[in-house]
Amino acid sequence: MSPVKNYLKHLLTSVVILLVLLSTLFLSRNFIKNFISNPQDYFLSGLESAEIYFVTVFIGLTVIFVLISYVIYLLLTNNTRFHLEIWNATKDLALSKEQFKRLYDSAPVPYIMLDKNAEIRGPNKAALRFFSVLPEDIVGKNLFSYLTGEDKEQAERLFDYYKSNVPINRKEVSMITKKGETRIVQLSIFEMKNPGSFSSTGLAMIFDITEQKLLDKAKTEFVSLASHQLRSPLATTKWLTEMLASGDIGELSPKHKEYVDKLHTANEDMIDLVDVLLNVSRIEMGSLTVDMKQTNVEELTESIFGELAFLINKKQINIVKEYNGLFQNIQSDPKLLRIVIQNLITNALKYTPSGGTIAVTFEESSGEKTITVSDTGLGIPESQQGLIFTKLFRADNVRGLNDSQGTGLGLYLVKSVMDSIGGSISFVSQENKGSAFTITL
Amino acid sequence: MDKIKSKKKVLIVDDNNNLTSVLVDKFNLSGFDAMGAVNGEDGLKKALEFKPDIILLDLVMPVMDGLEMLKQLRETEWGKEAKVMVLSLLDEATYIAKAMDSNVYGYIIKTDLSLDGIVKKITDILQSTK
Repeated sequence: MSPVKNYLKHLLTSVVILLVLLSTLFLSRNFIKNFISNPQDYFLSGLESAEIYFVTVFIGLTVIFVLISYVIYLLLTNNTRFHLEIWNATKDLALSKEQFKRLYDSAPVPYIMLDKNAEIRGPNKAALRFFSVLPEDIVGKNLFSYLTGEDKEQAERLFDYYKSNVPINRKEVSMITKKGETRIVQLSIFEMKNPGSFSSTGLAMIFDITEQKLLDKAKTEFVSLASHQLRSPLATTKWLTEMLASGDIGELSPKHKEYVDKLHTANEDMIDLVDVLLNVSRIEMGSLTVDMKQTNVEELTESIFGELAFLINKKQINIVKEYNGLFQNIQSDPKLLRIVIQNLITNALKYTPSGGTIAVTFEESSGEKTITVSDTGLGIPESQQGLIFTKLFRADNVRGLNDSQGTGLGLYLVKSVMDSIGGSISFVSQENKGSAFTITL
Repeated sequence: MDKIKSKKKVLIVDDNNNLTSVLVDKFNLSGFDAMGAVNGEDGLKKALEFKPDIILLDLVMPVMDGLEMLKQLRETEWGKEAKVMVLSLLDEATYIAKAMDSNVYGYIIKTDLSLDGIVKKITDILQSTK
Protein backbone atom coordinates (compact mmCIF):
# COMPACT_ATOMS: atom_id res chain seq x y z
CA MET A 1 0.00 0.00 0.00
CA SER A 2 1.36 3.38 -0.91
CA PRO A 3 2.00 5.95 1.85
CA VAL A 4 -0.52 8.36 0.39
CA LYS A 5 -3.23 5.72 0.44
CA ASN A 6 -2.29 4.79 3.98
CA TYR A 7 -2.48 8.38 5.05
CA LEU A 8 -5.87 8.90 3.43
CA LYS A 9 -7.25 5.81 5.10
CA HIS A 10 -6.03 7.04 8.45
CA LEU A 11 -7.56 10.46 7.90
CA LEU A 12 -10.87 8.95 6.87
CA THR A 13 -11.08 6.79 10.01
CA SER A 14 -10.35 9.81 12.19
CA VAL A 15 -12.94 11.97 10.47
CA VAL A 16 -15.57 9.24 10.83
CA ILE A 17 -14.86 8.89 14.55
CA LEU A 18 -15.01 12.66 14.93
CA LEU A 19 -18.29 12.80 13.06
CA VAL A 20 -19.75 10.05 15.24
CA LEU A 21 -18.73 11.98 18.36
CA LEU A 22 -20.08 15.27 17.07
CA SER A 23 -23.34 13.80 15.87
CA THR A 24 -23.88 12.08 19.22
CA LEU A 25 -23.57 15.51 20.81
CA PHE A 26 -25.84 16.99 18.18
CA LEU A 27 -28.56 14.35 18.64
CA SER A 28 -28.52 14.75 22.38
CA ARG A 29 -28.60 18.57 22.20
CA ASN A 30 -32.15 18.82 23.73
CA PHE A 31 -31.21 16.57 26.55
CA ILE A 32 -28.05 18.60 27.20
CA LYS A 33 -30.00 21.88 27.03
CA ASN A 34 -32.59 20.57 29.50
CA PHE A 35 -29.91 19.17 31.70
CA ILE A 36 -28.14 22.51 31.87
CA SER A 37 -31.25 24.63 32.43
CA ASN A 38 -32.98 22.28 34.91
CA PRO A 39 -30.29 20.04 36.36
CA GLN A 40 -32.30 19.37 39.57
CA ASP A 41 -34.81 17.30 37.56
CA TYR A 42 -32.11 14.75 36.84
CA PHE A 43 -30.75 14.39 40.34
CA LEU A 44 -32.21 12.96 43.48
CA SER A 45 -34.09 15.66 45.41
CA GLY A 46 -32.33 16.91 48.43
CA LEU A 47 -29.06 17.76 46.80
CA GLU A 48 -27.89 21.29 47.00
CA SER A 49 -28.00 23.23 43.76
CA ALA A 50 -24.32 24.23 44.16
CA GLU A 51 -23.34 20.56 44.15
CA ILE A 52 -25.54 19.89 41.17
CA TYR A 53 -23.91 22.72 39.23
CA PHE A 54 -20.46 21.46 40.14
CA VAL A 55 -21.20 17.98 38.80
CA THR A 56 -22.74 19.43 35.61
CA VAL A 57 -19.81 21.71 34.89
CA PHE A 58 -17.35 18.89 35.67
CA ILE A 59 -19.02 16.52 33.18
CA GLY A 60 -19.24 19.30 30.58
CA LEU A 61 -15.56 20.20 30.89
CA THR A 62 -14.58 16.53 30.74
CA VAL A 63 -16.47 16.10 27.45
CA ILE A 64 -14.78 19.22 25.97
CA PHE A 65 -11.30 18.04 27.10
CA VAL A 66 -11.87 14.64 25.58
CA LEU A 67 -12.80 16.26 22.26
CA ILE A 68 -9.82 18.65 22.26
CA SER A 69 -7.31 15.97 23.16
CA TYR A 70 -8.76 13.75 20.46
CA VAL A 71 -8.17 16.49 17.87
CA ILE A 72 -4.64 17.10 19.16
CA TYR A 73 -3.98 13.38 19.03
CA LEU A 74 -5.24 13.30 15.45
CA LEU A 75 -2.99 16.11 14.30
CA LEU A 76 0.04 14.77 16.09
CA THR A 77 -0.26 11.20 14.87
CA ASN A 78 -0.87 12.29 11.29
CA ASN A 79 2.13 14.52 11.34
CA THR A 80 4.35 11.86 12.85
CA ARG A 81 3.19 9.25 10.41
CA PHE A 82 3.76 11.60 7.53
CA HIS A 83 7.29 12.37 8.63
CA LEU A 84 8.04 8.77 9.22
CA GLU A 85 6.85 7.88 5.73
CA ILE A 86 8.89 10.65 4.15
CA TRP A 87 11.94 9.44 5.99
CA ASN A 88 11.36 5.84 4.86
CA ALA A 89 10.66 6.92 1.32
CA THR A 90 13.84 8.98 1.15
CA LYS A 91 15.83 6.01 2.35
CA ASP A 92 14.17 3.72 -0.26
CA LEU A 93 14.76 6.27 -2.97
CA ALA A 94 18.42 6.58 -2.11
CA LEU A 95 18.71 2.80 -2.15
CA SER A 96 16.99 2.35 -5.49
CA LYS A 97 18.97 5.21 -6.93
CA GLU A 98 22.12 3.43 -5.84
CA GLN A 99 20.81 0.15 -7.24
CA PHE A 100 19.87 1.82 -10.50
CA LYS A 101 23.30 3.44 -10.77
CA ARG A 102 25.04 0.13 -10.20
CA LEU A 103 22.78 -1.66 -12.64
CA TYR A 104 23.30 1.07 -15.22
CA ASP A 105 27.03 1.25 -14.71
CA SER A 106 27.82 -2.43 -14.71
CA ALA A 107 25.20 -3.59 -17.22
CA PRO A 108 26.87 -5.59 -20.01
CA VAL A 109 24.96 -3.59 -22.63
CA PRO A 110 26.32 -0.15 -23.55
CA TYR A 111 23.89 2.53 -22.28
CA ILE A 112 24.31 6.21 -22.97
CA MET A 113 22.26 9.09 -21.62
CA LEU A 114 21.81 11.94 -24.04
CA ASP A 115 20.78 15.54 -23.63
CA LYS A 116 18.29 17.19 -25.94
CA ASN A 117 20.93 17.84 -28.60
CA ALA A 118 21.93 14.16 -28.58
CA GLU A 119 25.17 15.05 -26.85
CA ILE A 120 26.56 12.26 -24.71
CA ARG A 121 26.02 12.78 -20.97
CA GLY A 122 26.30 9.59 -18.98
CA PRO A 123 27.91 6.66 -20.74
CA ASN A 124 28.05 3.47 -18.66
CA LYS A 125 31.14 1.27 -18.41
CA ALA A 126 30.06 -1.01 -21.22
CA ALA A 127 29.63 2.04 -23.46
CA LEU A 128 33.16 3.21 -22.66
CA ARG A 129 34.44 -0.28 -23.36
CA PHE A 130 32.50 -0.38 -26.62
CA PHE A 131 34.04 2.84 -27.89
CA SER A 132 37.34 2.08 -26.07
CA VAL A 133 37.48 5.59 -24.61
CA LEU A 134 37.67 7.42 -21.28
CA PRO A 135 34.57 9.37 -20.19
CA GLU A 136 36.20 12.72 -21.01
CA ASP A 137 36.87 11.62 -24.59
CA ILE A 138 33.25 11.12 -25.30
CA VAL A 139 31.10 13.26 -23.00
CA GLY A 140 29.67 16.26 -24.87
CA LYS A 141 30.08 14.72 -28.32
CA ASN A 142 27.07 14.05 -30.52
CA LEU A 143 26.20 10.34 -30.49
CA PHE A 144 25.21 10.39 -34.17
CA SER A 145 28.69 11.57 -35.15
CA TYR A 146 29.88 8.04 -34.27
CA LEU A 147 27.81 6.53 -37.07
CA THR A 148 30.16 5.69 -39.94
CA GLY A 149 30.63 8.07 -42.81
CA GLU A 150 29.33 5.55 -45.34
CA ASP A 151 25.81 6.50 -44.54
CA LYS A 152 25.79 10.10 -43.37
CA GLU A 153 22.25 10.54 -44.62
CA GLN A 154 21.02 7.84 -42.30
CA ALA A 155 22.80 9.48 -39.35
CA GLU A 156 21.09 12.77 -40.16
CA ARG A 157 17.72 11.11 -40.52
CA LEU A 158 18.11 9.36 -37.17
CA PHE A 159 19.19 12.64 -35.57
CA ASP A 160 16.01 14.26 -36.93
CA TYR A 161 13.99 11.41 -35.43
CA TYR A 162 15.67 12.01 -32.12
CA LYS A 163 15.00 15.74 -32.15
CA SER A 164 11.31 15.15 -32.85
CA ASN A 165 11.12 12.54 -30.07
CA VAL A 166 10.47 9.63 -32.39
CA PRO A 167 11.78 6.50 -30.68
CA ILE A 168 14.49 4.61 -32.56
CA ASN A 169 13.97 0.90 -32.16
CA ARG A 170 16.74 -1.61 -32.97
CA LYS A 171 17.93 0.21 -36.04
CA GLU A 172 20.86 -1.53 -37.69
CA VAL A 173 23.74 0.93 -38.12
CA SER A 174 27.52 0.88 -38.25
CA MET A 175 29.40 2.74 -35.55
CA ILE A 176 33.05 3.61 -35.42
CA THR A 177 35.13 3.20 -32.27
CA LYS A 178 38.19 5.14 -31.18
CA LYS A 179 40.41 2.38 -32.55
CA GLY A 180 38.86 3.05 -35.94
CA GLU A 181 37.04 -0.27 -35.89
CA THR A 182 33.61 -0.43 -37.51
CA ARG A 183 31.04 -2.35 -35.52
CA ILE A 184 27.58 -3.30 -36.72
CA VAL A 185 25.06 -2.53 -33.99
CA GLN A 186 21.38 -2.32 -33.30
CA LEU A 187 20.75 1.15 -31.95
CA SER A 188 17.70 1.95 -29.81
CA ILE A 189 17.00 5.38 -28.36
CA PHE A 190 14.06 6.12 -26.10
CA GLU A 191 12.88 9.42 -24.72
CA MET A 192 13.10 9.95 -20.95
CA LYS A 193 10.69 12.54 -19.60
CA ASN A 194 12.16 14.57 -16.75
CA PRO A 195 9.56 15.31 -14.08
CA GLY A 196 9.05 19.01 -13.43
CA SER A 197 10.86 20.10 -16.54
CA PHE A 198 9.84 20.51 -20.15
CA SER A 199 13.13 19.32 -21.58
CA SER A 200 13.48 15.63 -22.21
CA THR A 201 16.56 13.48 -22.58
CA GLY A 202 17.25 10.22 -24.26
CA LEU A 203 18.56 6.82 -23.30
CA ALA A 204 20.53 5.08 -26.02
CA MET A 205 21.16 1.34 -26.04
CA ILE A 206 23.72 -0.30 -28.28
CA PHE A 207 23.57 -4.00 -29.09
CA ASP A 208 26.75 -5.08 -30.83
CA ILE A 209 25.79 -7.66 -33.46
CA THR A 210 29.08 -7.64 -35.39
CA GLU A 211 29.95 -11.21 -34.42
CA GLN A 212 26.53 -12.57 -35.44
CA LYS A 213 26.79 -10.72 -38.73
CA LEU A 214 30.22 -12.18 -39.42
CA LEU A 215 28.96 -15.65 -38.57
CA ASP A 216 25.97 -15.24 -40.88
CA LYS A 217 28.29 -14.05 -43.61
CA ALA A 218 30.64 -16.99 -43.07
CA LYS A 219 27.72 -19.41 -43.33
CA THR A 220 26.46 -17.87 -46.54
CA GLU A 221 29.93 -17.80 -47.99
CA PHE A 222 30.43 -21.42 -47.08
CA VAL A 223 27.33 -22.46 -48.97
CA SER A 224 28.44 -20.30 -51.90
CA LEU A 225 31.86 -21.85 -51.96
CA ALA A 226 30.50 -25.37 -51.57
CA SER A 227 28.05 -24.70 -54.35
CA HIS A 228 30.78 -23.39 -56.62
CA GLN A 229 33.29 -26.15 -55.95
CA LEU A 230 30.73 -28.96 -56.20
CA ARG A 231 29.25 -27.69 -59.42
CA SER A 232 32.53 -27.08 -61.17
CA PRO A 233 33.33 -30.73 -62.03
CA LEU A 234 29.65 -31.43 -62.68
CA ALA A 235 29.47 -28.69 -65.31
CA THR A 236 32.59 -30.06 -66.96
CA THR A 237 31.24 -33.62 -67.06
CA LYS A 238 27.87 -32.36 -68.31
CA TRP A 239 29.39 -30.62 -71.31
CA LEU A 240 32.04 -33.19 -72.09
CA THR A 241 29.53 -36.06 -72.15
CA GLU A 242 27.22 -33.91 -74.25
CA MET A 243 30.02 -33.20 -76.68
CA LEU A 244 30.82 -36.91 -76.96
CA ALA A 245 27.20 -37.94 -77.37
CA SER A 246 26.47 -35.30 -80.01
CA GLY A 247 28.88 -36.93 -82.44
CA ASP A 248 30.32 -33.53 -83.32
CA ILE A 249 33.81 -34.83 -82.76
CA GLY A 250 33.30 -38.23 -84.35
CA GLU A 251 30.47 -40.78 -84.28
CA LEU A 252 30.34 -43.20 -81.35
CA SER A 253 29.37 -46.82 -81.69
CA PRO A 254 25.81 -47.50 -80.38
CA LYS A 255 27.22 -49.14 -77.27
CA HIS A 256 29.59 -46.21 -76.63
CA LYS A 257 26.71 -43.82 -77.09
CA GLU A 258 24.53 -45.74 -74.65
CA TYR A 259 27.19 -45.58 -71.96
CA VAL A 260 27.94 -41.91 -72.53
CA ASP A 261 24.19 -41.17 -72.27
CA LYS A 262 24.05 -43.07 -68.98
CA LEU A 263 27.01 -41.09 -67.74
CA HIS A 264 25.25 -37.91 -68.75
CA THR A 265 22.03 -38.92 -66.94
CA ALA A 266 23.90 -39.86 -63.78
CA ASN A 267 25.66 -36.51 -63.88
CA GLU A 268 22.34 -34.68 -64.32
CA ASP A 269 21.00 -36.53 -61.25
CA MET A 270 24.08 -35.39 -59.36
CA ILE A 271 23.50 -31.77 -60.42
CA ASP A 272 19.91 -31.99 -59.15
CA LEU A 273 21.08 -33.55 -55.91
CA VAL A 274 23.66 -30.81 -55.34
CA ASP A 275 20.99 -28.16 -56.03
CA VAL A 276 18.62 -29.72 -53.52
CA LEU A 277 21.34 -30.19 -50.90
CA LEU A 278 22.48 -26.59 -51.24
CA ASN A 279 18.95 -25.26 -51.02
CA VAL A 280 18.27 -27.39 -47.95
CA SER A 281 21.43 -26.13 -46.25
CA ARG A 282 20.54 -22.55 -47.13
CA ILE A 283 17.18 -23.06 -45.45
CA GLU A 284 18.66 -24.75 -42.40
CA MET A 285 21.35 -22.11 -41.97
CA GLY A 286 18.75 -19.43 -42.34
CA SER A 287 20.60 -17.87 -45.25
CA LEU A 288 17.82 -18.31 -47.77
CA THR A 289 16.74 -14.89 -48.95
CA VAL A 290 13.19 -14.33 -50.13
CA ASP A 291 12.97 -11.85 -52.97
CA MET A 292 9.33 -10.98 -53.66
CA LYS A 293 8.64 -9.48 -57.06
CA GLN A 294 6.24 -9.62 -59.98
CA THR A 295 6.02 -13.21 -61.07
CA ASN A 296 4.42 -14.83 -64.07
CA VAL A 297 3.60 -18.32 -62.77
CA GLU A 298 2.21 -19.49 -66.10
CA GLU A 299 5.44 -18.67 -67.91
CA LEU A 300 7.44 -20.25 -65.11
CA THR A 301 5.42 -23.48 -65.26
CA GLU A 302 5.71 -23.59 -69.04
CA SER A 303 9.50 -23.33 -68.82
CA ILE A 304 9.55 -26.25 -66.36
CA PHE A 305 7.48 -28.34 -68.78
CA GLY A 306 9.91 -27.29 -71.50
CA GLU A 307 12.85 -28.65 -69.54
CA LEU A 308 11.05 -31.91 -68.82
CA ALA A 309 9.68 -32.36 -72.37
CA PHE A 310 12.14 -35.14 -73.13
CA LEU A 311 11.12 -37.22 -70.11
CA ILE A 312 7.43 -36.51 -70.64
CA ASN A 313 7.65 -37.74 -74.21
CA LYS A 314 9.71 -40.75 -73.25
CA LYS A 315 7.14 -41.89 -70.65
CA GLN A 316 4.22 -40.81 -72.86
CA ILE A 317 2.63 -38.84 -70.08
CA ASN A 318 -0.49 -36.87 -70.88
CA ILE A 319 -0.19 -33.29 -69.57
CA VAL A 320 -3.30 -31.28 -68.68
CA LYS A 321 -2.78 -27.55 -68.13
CA GLU A 322 -5.57 -25.55 -66.52
CA TYR A 323 -3.99 -22.14 -66.03
CA ASN A 324 -7.37 -20.37 -66.41
CA GLY A 325 -5.52 -17.21 -67.38
CA LEU A 326 -4.50 -16.72 -63.74
CA PHE A 327 -1.27 -15.74 -61.94
CA GLN A 328 0.39 -13.99 -64.86
CA ASN A 329 1.36 -11.17 -62.54
CA ILE A 330 1.44 -11.97 -58.84
CA GLN A 331 3.82 -11.05 -56.02
CA SER A 332 6.06 -13.98 -55.19
CA ASP A 333 9.66 -15.13 -55.33
CA PRO A 334 9.99 -16.58 -58.84
CA LYS A 335 13.17 -18.50 -58.07
CA LEU A 336 11.77 -20.19 -54.96
CA LEU A 337 8.36 -20.78 -56.49
CA ARG A 338 10.12 -22.43 -59.41
CA ILE A 339 11.88 -24.83 -57.02
CA VAL A 340 8.50 -25.75 -55.53
CA ILE A 341 6.60 -26.29 -58.78
CA GLN A 342 9.53 -28.04 -60.40
CA ASN A 343 9.82 -30.47 -57.51
CA LEU A 344 6.10 -31.23 -57.54
CA ILE A 345 6.03 -31.84 -61.32
CA THR A 346 9.25 -33.88 -61.26
CA ASN A 347 7.83 -36.03 -58.45
CA ALA A 348 4.61 -36.55 -60.37
CA LEU A 349 6.63 -37.54 -63.41
CA LYS A 350 8.83 -39.88 -61.41
CA TYR A 351 5.99 -41.75 -59.75
CA THR A 352 3.47 -41.91 -62.59
CA PRO A 353 3.68 -45.00 -64.84
CA SER A 354 3.91 -44.61 -68.62
CA GLY A 355 0.68 -43.45 -70.24
CA GLY A 356 -0.55 -41.70 -67.09
CA THR A 357 -1.78 -38.14 -66.69
CA ILE A 358 -0.36 -35.13 -64.84
CA ALA A 359 -2.50 -32.03 -64.39
CA VAL A 360 -1.50 -28.55 -63.24
CA THR A 361 -4.40 -26.37 -62.15
CA PHE A 362 -4.40 -22.71 -61.09
CA GLU A 363 -7.36 -21.52 -59.02
CA GLU A 364 -8.29 -18.40 -57.15
CA SER A 365 -11.24 -18.11 -54.79
CA SER A 366 -11.84 -15.40 -52.19
CA GLY A 367 -8.28 -14.10 -52.55
CA GLU A 368 -6.70 -17.52 -52.00
CA LYS A 369 -4.38 -18.52 -54.81
CA THR A 370 -3.80 -22.25 -55.21
CA ILE A 371 -1.72 -24.33 -57.58
CA THR A 372 -2.45 -28.04 -57.73
CA VAL A 373 -0.25 -30.69 -59.31
CA SER A 374 -2.10 -33.98 -59.58
CA ASP A 375 -1.11 -37.28 -61.09
CA THR A 376 -2.40 -40.78 -61.72
CA GLY A 377 0.68 -42.31 -60.12
CA LEU A 378 1.61 -44.66 -57.35
CA GLY A 379 0.21 -42.57 -54.51
CA ILE A 380 1.42 -42.53 -50.92
CA PRO A 381 0.42 -45.35 -48.54
CA GLU A 382 -2.14 -43.98 -46.05
CA SER A 383 -0.13 -45.13 -43.04
CA GLN A 384 2.85 -43.00 -44.16
CA GLN A 385 1.08 -39.84 -45.22
CA GLY A 386 1.91 -38.08 -41.96
CA LEU A 387 5.63 -38.36 -42.66
CA ILE A 388 5.66 -37.12 -46.21
CA PHE A 389 7.28 -33.72 -45.51
CA THR A 390 9.95 -35.00 -43.13
CA LYS A 391 13.56 -34.97 -44.14
CA LEU A 392 14.97 -38.09 -45.87
CA PHE A 393 11.58 -39.79 -45.82
CA ARG A 394 10.81 -42.13 -48.69
CA ALA A 395 7.56 -44.04 -48.93
CA ASP A 396 7.74 -47.86 -48.88
CA ASN A 397 6.12 -48.25 -52.28
CA VAL A 398 8.82 -46.23 -54.10
CA ARG A 399 11.94 -47.49 -52.37
CA GLY A 400 12.24 -50.49 -54.65
CA LEU A 401 11.73 -48.57 -57.89
CA ASN A 402 14.67 -49.13 -60.17
CA ASP A 403 14.84 -45.88 -62.04
CA SER A 404 13.74 -43.51 -59.30
CA GLN A 405 16.63 -41.59 -57.83
CA GLY A 406 14.66 -39.96 -55.03
CA THR A 407 16.68 -38.26 -52.30
CA GLY A 408 14.00 -37.86 -49.67
CA LEU A 409 14.74 -34.17 -49.66
CA GLY A 410 12.42 -32.81 -52.35
CA LEU A 411 9.18 -32.48 -50.40
CA TYR A 412 11.04 -31.39 -47.27
CA LEU A 413 12.55 -28.60 -49.36
CA VAL A 414 9.18 -27.74 -50.90
CA LYS A 415 7.57 -27.48 -47.47
CA SER A 416 10.44 -25.36 -46.08
CA VAL A 417 10.34 -23.03 -49.09
CA MET A 418 6.57 -22.61 -48.77
CA ASP A 419 7.03 -21.76 -45.09
CA SER A 420 9.65 -19.13 -45.95
CA ILE A 421 7.59 -17.43 -48.65
CA GLY A 422 4.54 -17.41 -46.42
CA GLY A 423 2.42 -20.09 -48.09
CA SER A 424 1.32 -23.60 -47.28
CA ILE A 425 1.11 -27.03 -48.86
CA SER A 426 -1.35 -29.89 -48.54
CA PHE A 427 -2.10 -33.09 -50.42
CA VAL A 428 -4.55 -35.91 -50.93
CA SER A 429 -3.36 -39.28 -52.07
CA GLN A 430 -4.58 -42.80 -52.60
CA GLU A 431 -2.24 -45.68 -53.18
CA ASN A 432 -2.19 -46.85 -56.82
CA LYS A 433 -4.69 -44.14 -57.80
CA GLY A 434 -2.58 -41.00 -57.60
CA SER A 435 -1.72 -37.90 -55.59
CA ALA A 436 -2.64 -34.22 -55.73
CA PHE A 437 -0.40 -31.63 -54.07
CA THR A 438 -1.84 -28.16 -53.57
CA ILE A 439 0.19 -25.11 -52.65
CA THR A 440 -1.54 -22.00 -51.36
CA LEU A 441 0.19 -18.68 -51.98
CA MET B 1 29.78 -8.85 -97.86
CA ASP B 2 32.74 -8.98 -95.60
CA LYS B 3 30.61 -9.21 -92.48
CA ILE B 4 28.51 -12.10 -93.67
CA LYS B 5 31.58 -14.08 -94.66
CA SER B 6 33.58 -13.47 -91.49
CA LYS B 7 32.88 -15.72 -88.56
CA LYS B 8 31.56 -14.25 -85.32
CA LYS B 9 34.23 -14.09 -82.67
CA VAL B 10 33.66 -15.47 -79.16
CA LEU B 11 36.05 -15.11 -76.23
CA ILE B 12 35.62 -17.54 -73.34
CA VAL B 13 37.20 -16.44 -70.07
CA ASP B 14 37.26 -19.26 -67.51
CA ASP B 15 39.94 -20.67 -65.23
CA ASN B 16 38.63 -24.20 -65.65
CA ASN B 17 40.61 -25.46 -68.64
CA ASN B 18 38.33 -28.43 -69.23
CA LEU B 19 35.34 -26.15 -69.56
CA THR B 20 37.12 -23.61 -71.72
CA SER B 21 38.43 -26.22 -74.16
CA VAL B 22 35.07 -27.94 -74.63
CA LEU B 23 33.36 -24.58 -75.14
CA VAL B 24 36.00 -23.41 -77.60
CA ASP B 25 35.64 -26.69 -79.54
CA LYS B 26 31.86 -26.48 -79.54
CA PHE B 27 31.80 -22.87 -80.75
CA ASN B 28 34.40 -23.56 -83.44
CA LEU B 29 32.37 -26.58 -84.62
CA SER B 30 29.24 -24.41 -84.68
CA GLY B 31 30.77 -21.92 -87.08
CA PHE B 32 32.24 -19.39 -84.67
CA ASP B 33 35.79 -18.25 -84.20
CA ALA B 34 36.40 -19.02 -80.52
CA MET B 35 39.31 -18.31 -78.21
CA GLY B 36 39.90 -19.08 -74.53
CA ALA B 37 41.49 -17.11 -71.70
CA VAL B 38 42.45 -18.46 -68.27
CA ASN B 39 41.74 -15.49 -65.96
CA GLY B 40 40.56 -11.89 -65.89
CA GLU B 41 43.93 -10.40 -66.70
CA ASP B 42 44.49 -12.73 -69.65
CA GLY B 43 40.85 -12.20 -70.67
CA LEU B 44 41.17 -8.41 -70.69
CA LYS B 45 44.34 -8.55 -72.79
CA LYS B 46 42.83 -10.99 -75.29
CA ALA B 47 39.55 -9.05 -75.44
CA LEU B 48 41.33 -5.85 -76.47
CA GLU B 49 43.50 -7.68 -79.05
CA PHE B 50 40.93 -10.10 -80.44
CA LYS B 51 37.93 -7.70 -80.21
CA PRO B 52 35.34 -10.52 -79.94
CA ASP B 53 31.67 -10.03 -80.82
CA ILE B 54 30.78 -11.45 -77.41
CA ILE B 55 32.64 -12.45 -74.26
CA LEU B 56 31.55 -15.38 -72.09
CA LEU B 57 32.83 -14.51 -68.66
CA ASP B 58 33.24 -16.65 -65.56
CA LEU B 59 33.13 -14.82 -62.20
CA VAL B 60 35.31 -16.76 -59.77
CA MET B 61 38.87 -16.83 -61.13
CA PRO B 62 42.37 -16.45 -59.74
CA VAL B 63 44.61 -13.42 -60.48
CA MET B 64 41.71 -11.23 -61.58
CA ASP B 65 38.07 -12.20 -61.10
CA GLY B 66 35.27 -11.68 -63.58
CA LEU B 67 33.67 -8.63 -61.98
CA GLU B 68 37.03 -6.84 -61.79
CA MET B 69 37.77 -7.67 -65.41
CA LEU B 70 34.32 -6.38 -66.38
CA LYS B 71 34.98 -3.14 -64.49
CA GLN B 72 38.32 -2.58 -66.20
CA LEU B 73 36.90 -3.58 -69.57
CA ARG B 74 34.16 -0.96 -69.24
CA GLU B 75 36.81 1.69 -68.62
CA THR B 76 38.45 1.10 -72.02
CA GLU B 77 37.26 2.75 -75.23
CA TRP B 78 36.51 -0.53 -77.03
CA GLY B 79 35.16 -2.30 -73.93
CA LYS B 80 32.45 0.24 -73.13
CA GLU B 81 29.99 -1.31 -75.57
CA ALA B 82 31.37 -4.85 -75.68
CA LYS B 83 28.79 -7.59 -75.29
CA VAL B 84 29.36 -9.73 -72.23
CA MET B 85 27.47 -12.80 -71.03
CA VAL B 86 28.25 -14.06 -67.56
CA LEU B 87 28.73 -17.80 -67.35
CA SER B 88 29.05 -18.78 -63.72
CA LEU B 89 28.44 -21.55 -61.22
CA LEU B 90 27.16 -19.14 -58.58
CA ASP B 91 23.41 -18.93 -58.35
CA GLU B 92 22.99 -16.38 -55.55
CA ALA B 93 20.85 -13.36 -56.31
CA THR B 94 23.54 -10.99 -55.01
CA TYR B 95 26.11 -12.08 -57.59
CA ILE B 96 23.56 -11.99 -60.38
CA ALA B 97 22.56 -8.45 -59.36
CA LYS B 98 26.21 -7.32 -59.19
CA ALA B 99 26.92 -8.64 -62.68
CA MET B 100 23.73 -7.13 -64.05
CA ASP B 101 24.80 -3.73 -62.72
CA SER B 102 27.72 -3.76 -65.15
CA ASN B 103 25.45 -3.92 -68.16
CA VAL B 104 25.83 -7.55 -69.19
CA TYR B 105 23.59 -9.41 -71.64
CA GLY B 106 22.63 -12.19 -69.33
CA TYR B 107 23.65 -14.56 -66.60
CA ILE B 108 23.94 -18.27 -67.34
CA ILE B 109 24.35 -20.78 -64.54
CA LYS B 110 26.63 -23.38 -66.10
CA THR B 111 24.82 -26.45 -64.81
CA ASP B 112 21.45 -25.15 -66.09
CA LEU B 113 22.23 -25.11 -69.81
CA SER B 114 23.46 -27.66 -72.34
CA LEU B 115 26.21 -26.81 -74.83
CA ASP B 116 23.62 -26.58 -77.60
CA GLY B 117 21.55 -24.30 -75.35
CA ILE B 118 24.48 -21.94 -74.86
CA VAL B 119 25.37 -21.85 -78.56
CA LYS B 120 21.73 -21.15 -79.40
CA LYS B 121 21.52 -18.35 -76.83
CA ILE B 122 24.69 -16.69 -78.11
CA THR B 123 23.58 -17.05 -81.74
CA ASP B 124 20.24 -15.42 -80.87
CA ILE B 125 21.92 -12.51 -79.11
CA LEU B 126 24.36 -11.87 -81.93
CA GLN B 127 21.59 -12.04 -84.52
CA SER B 128 19.18 -9.77 -82.67
CA THR B 129 21.75 -7.06 -81.99
CA LYS B 130 23.42 -6.95 -85.39
